[in-house]
Amino acid sequence: MSQSLKPYLTAVRHSLNSALCLQDFSSQLVERHNYPEIENKRTPEILLNPLYISRNESERVLIEPSINSIRVSLKIKQSDEIEEILVDKFTRFLTKRAENFLILRRVPIEGYDISFLLTNYHQEVMMKQKLVDFIIEFMEDVDKEISEMKLFLNARARFVAEAYLNVFD
Amino acid sequence: MLQLEPQNLLIEETFNTALAPGYEPVSLDRILTDFDFTTYHISTPQDKTKILLSIGIKCWSDLSKYGALELLQKKYGGYSFVKILSQGSCEPGYDVSLYIDIEQVQLDDEAKLELINELSLLKRNCFAAPFLKAFARYEVLAKETPVDPNNLYGEDSAATSNSNEEVLKLDYRGEESIYIKPSNDRVTVIFSTVFNDETDKIFSKVFLQEFSDARKRSIQKAPQVINSHKEVPLEIQHIAPPSDDKTYITFVLFPRHLSTEDVKWNSITHIQLFRSYFHYHIKIVKCYLHQRMRFRVQSFTKILNRARREVDEEELRAERKTASGRRFEVK
Amino acid sequence: MSSINTPAVVMDNGTGFTKLGFAGNDSPSWVFPTAIATRNTSTGSSSKPMAPSKPSFLSSGTGNSNSLIAGSNANSKASSIHGNRDMADLDFYIGDYALEAAKGPSYSLSYPIRHGQIENWDQMERFWETSIFKYLKCEPEDHYFLLTEPPLNPPENRENTAEIMFESFNCAGLYIAVQAVLALAASWTSSKVIDRSLTGTVIDSGDGVTHVIPVAEGYVIGSAIKNIPIAGRDITSFIQTMLRERGEADSSLRTAEQIKQQFCYVCPDIVKEFRKYDNDPEMFAKYIVDTVSHKKIEVDVGYERFLAPEIFFNPEICSSDFLTPLPIIVDQVIQASPIDVRKNLYKNIVLSGGSTMFKDFGRRLQRDLKTMVNERVEASERLSGAKSSGVQVQVISHKRQRNAVWFGGSLMAQTSEFKSYCHTKRDYDEYGPNIVRNFSLFSVP
Repeated sequence: MSQSLKPYLTAVRHSLNSALCLQDFSSQLVERHNYPEIENKRTPEILLNPLYISRNESERVLIEPSINSIRVSLKIKQSDEIEEILVDKFTRFLTKRAENFLILRRVPIEGYDISFLLTNYHQEVMMKQKLVDFIIEFMEDVDKEISEMKLFLNARARFVAEAYLNVFD
Repeated sequence: MLQLEPQNLLIEETFNTALAPGYEPVSLDRILTDFDFTTYHISTPQDKTKILLSIGIKCWSDLSKYGALELLQKKYGGYSFVKILSQGSCEPGYDVSLYIDIEQVQLDDEAKLELINELSLLKRNCFAAPFLKAFARYEVLAKETPVDPNNLYGEDSAATSNSNEEVLKLDYRGEESIYIKPSNDRVTVIFSTVFNDETDKIFSKVFLQEFSDARKRSIQKAPQVINSHKEVPLEIQHIAPPSDDKTYITFVLFPRHLSTEDVKWNSITHIQLFRSYFHYHIKIVKCYLHQRMRFRVQSFTKILNRARREVDEEELRAERKTASGRRFEVK
Repeated sequence: MSSINTPAVVMDNGTGFTKLGFAGNDSPSWVFPTAIATRNTSTGSSSKPMAPSKPSFLSSGTGNSNSLIAGSNANSKASSIHGNRDMADLDFYIGDYALEAAKGPSYSLSYPIRHGQIENWDQMERFWETSIFKYLKCEPEDHYFLLTEPPLNPPENRENTAEIMFESFNCAGLYIAVQAVLALAASWTSSKVIDRSLTGTVIDSGDGVTHVIPVAEGYVIGSAIKNIPIAGRDITSFIQTMLRERGEADSSLRTAEQIKQQFCYVCPDIVKEFRKYDNDPEMFAKYIVDTVSHKKIEVDVGYERFLAPEIFFNPEICSSDFLTPLPIIVDQVIQASPIDVRKNLYKNIVLSGGSTMFKDFGRRLQRDLKTMVNERVEASERLSGAKSSGVQVQVISHKRQRNAVWFGGSLMAQTSEFKSYCHTKRDYDEYGPNIVRNFSLFSVP
C-alpha cells in the first residue's frame, strides 16, 4: 500500500462511519411516502453537508449524507485513455448487475465513475461496520483490478504480436 | 486458438466427404463465408457428382488485374477434372467458379489430400496473385540494382530509391486497403484498417505498439512493422486519399522472407491473414476482460453478502403475531 | 454499414447440440455438441478450472502455452519464448474436439448450457468465439446474427448475450428468437400449411427433454408449457436394455442409436403389431455392426423397432414415475391455453427435433389426439344439445424436422426485412443492453 493510500482510506472509513447514522424518515412532502432524502433533496433541513475526500486530482470520494440515506460516489484513477476505457467498461459492467449489489446506484453522480446509495433499510439488514468494509475494499480492489487489466492487455498484446511475427521465417 | 487458419474448414470437410471412397452423391446447395467479405457457394447444379465451387471476393477486379486468374489456372489447371470458369461463364453473382467432376477424380490418398487442401485455400490463392507479382518485380529490381552487401538488413537505405515504382492496391474491404510496393531490397506491404468501435481503436494502439516493438526486442528475423495513425505512409502518399480515421500498418518484407518458394508462400499466407488476426485478438482480449469482470462481480457480491445480518429464526417467528397475540406461520 | 450483402449467421445453441450455419442454406453447416474442454489448472483449485486465474496471469502455469500452440499451427519455437505466460484462456477445444480432448488427463469437459439456458457465460463466450472465427470463418462486424433462446428465458440472459455479442464481438446486428417460434416457421415448408400463421403447438423433442409449447401469434403462452422427461436418450437406452436382455453380440450405445435411427417406427396398435411379428418372421431385421477389427457382427432387431418409440405413447413400459402419454399432455397444454386460441392450437401441431423423426409419429399422435377431442366434443353436444362445428386436429410433420429450429432461423434471416428487425451495434451503443428485451416479431411474408 502506497504512502498516501492508507491515510486516504482511513479518512474515508472514518467519514463513512460517522455518516452512516441513519433513521427511518417519512417524506414531509407526500403522505405515506418514504424517499431516500438525498435523492430528491426537497427537504433542505434534513440534508447534511456533503463532504469531499480527495487523494489527488484524479481520485476522490464524495459523501452526501442525509437523515435516512447517504450517497457515496467514487472517482477512480484514470491516467491514460486505456485506463479510461477499462474503468468505463468495468463500471458499466457493474452497474448492469446492480441488482446483486443492493447498494449500487444504477447511474453514477455526474463527474464520478460509480455511486452507492445506502438507506436506512440497508442498514437494517446489513451490518454497518461490514458495509463500510465493503466500500473500502471496493475502492482498493477496483484500482488493483484496473491496473491488472492494463498489465494483462499489454502482456497479451506482446504475446500476440510475437506469436504472429514468429511464424515468418 | 491462437492462430487463425488460412484454409476454410467447411470446404475442406465438404470435399473430404465428397472424395471419400463410398461417397453417395447428394445434391448440395450451400453458402459459406470467409473473412473480408468472401462468399463461397457450393452447389451441384446439373449432376450430383459434379460440384460447383464458386467464390465471390470484394476486390476481385483488383485481383484479376494482378493475375489471379492465371495463378488459379496454375494451381488447379493441372487437374483434368477441374474446370475453371470465370467472367461470363462463372456462376452469376460470383467471381470465379471451379467445376469439379467427382467421378473423374482418380488420385491416391496423398494427392487427394493435397487437392482438398488446395481447394480449401482458394481464397488465399486468389489473394496471392498480387503478392507474387510484387515479389517477381522485386527480383527484377534486385538484379538491376543489387543491394550493397554491407548493408545486410537494408534498414537504412532510403525507401525513396524506387519511389516511382508502381504500387499494387487492393481494396479488400471497401474502405480498407492493402498496398504492396516492390523495390530492389524489400517488398513493402501496407494495410489500412478502420475501427468502428472506440474501445477497439484504443486497444489496437497497444497491440500495434507491441507489433512494432517485437522485432526490436527479440525476433530479428521477422519483417519490420511500422504503424501510424491517421498519417499516410510515405510510400503511398500519392495514391491513398488522406483520411482521419485510418490506421496504417506497414510490413517490410526483407529478402529473407522472399528467398524460396516455400518461404514466399508462407509469407503470403500469413500476411494476408493479418487484419483478421489483429481484429480477432482484440475481440479475444475483450472476452477475457469480461471473464475477469465476471469474476470480480462475484467476489464483490461475496464481500457484500458478508455484511448481511444473520436473521434469527426465533426472532422472526416471535414477530409474526396477530393483534390478539396469536402466532401464525408464513410459508 | 458495409454488411449488406453478407449472409446472416444463424446459431442455435441447444443443451446437447449446437447448430451453426448461414441464412439461406437448408441445413446447418456445423452440428456439434455444445461442449467445451478447458485445461485443468495445475494448481490445487482444479474443481473450478474456468475461473480466470484471478490476479496471477503473470505467475501461473508454465506448461500452459506449450499445448496451446501445438493445438494451433504455430511453430514450436514460439512456445519456448512464451513458456511462462498464462494464455489459458486461449487453450480450449469445442464440439467434437472437446470430447476428444477430454479423454486425456489435462482437459476437463463441461457443457455451458443446461436445460436450454446458458449457465456458464465465460465458457459460452469462448464457445462463440471459436464457433465464429474458426468454424464459420466470418468477421462478426460484417454479419448480422440470429441466436435462439428457450421459452421463458429470463431477460437478463438476453442482455448478457447482447453484451457479449456487441461488446466483445462488435457484431453488426442481433436478433434473438424463441426456438418454438422458429420451429413453427420451419413448418411452413410443409404442403399442409396454408396460412403461415405463428399460432400453433410445438412439440420439441431433442436428446434430453421433450417440451410441449403453445404459441399464439408469435408469443409463447408460458403458463401452459409442459415438459416430458422422455426424449431421445431414453429411447436409446431402452433399445440398449432390450438388446442386453436378449444377449445380443453387440449392445453398445452406438449400435442402439443406429438401430433407433434406421429401424424404429411408430405402429398404430401394439397388440396387432406383436401378432404381425409373430406370424411373419420377415419383420425382424438384422443390423450389421462394423467393429474396429473389421469383423462384422450381426445384431437382430426385434420388437424394439416399434416398442421403443412407443414409450412416448405408453410411458409405463419404460418409466415408473412418469406415466402420462404424450397425446394427453398435448391436450392438457392446449386446454390450459386461452380459449380463443385453442382451435388454432389443435389445428397446427408442429413437430421439431430429432426424436420426432420416427415414421408415422405424427400420424399416431394425430389419431390419438383426435379420438380424445372428438369424445369431448360429443360429450358437450350431448349435454348441451347444440351442434358443435367440430375441432380440427392436425399434426404437421415435414422434411426439416430434425433441425427445425435452425432451419426456421435460416428461413427468417434470409428475408429482406430481417435486418430491419435486428438491433444494430449502433442501437446498442445508444441505448444500452436493455434494448434486447424487446424484438419485434416477424411479420408473415
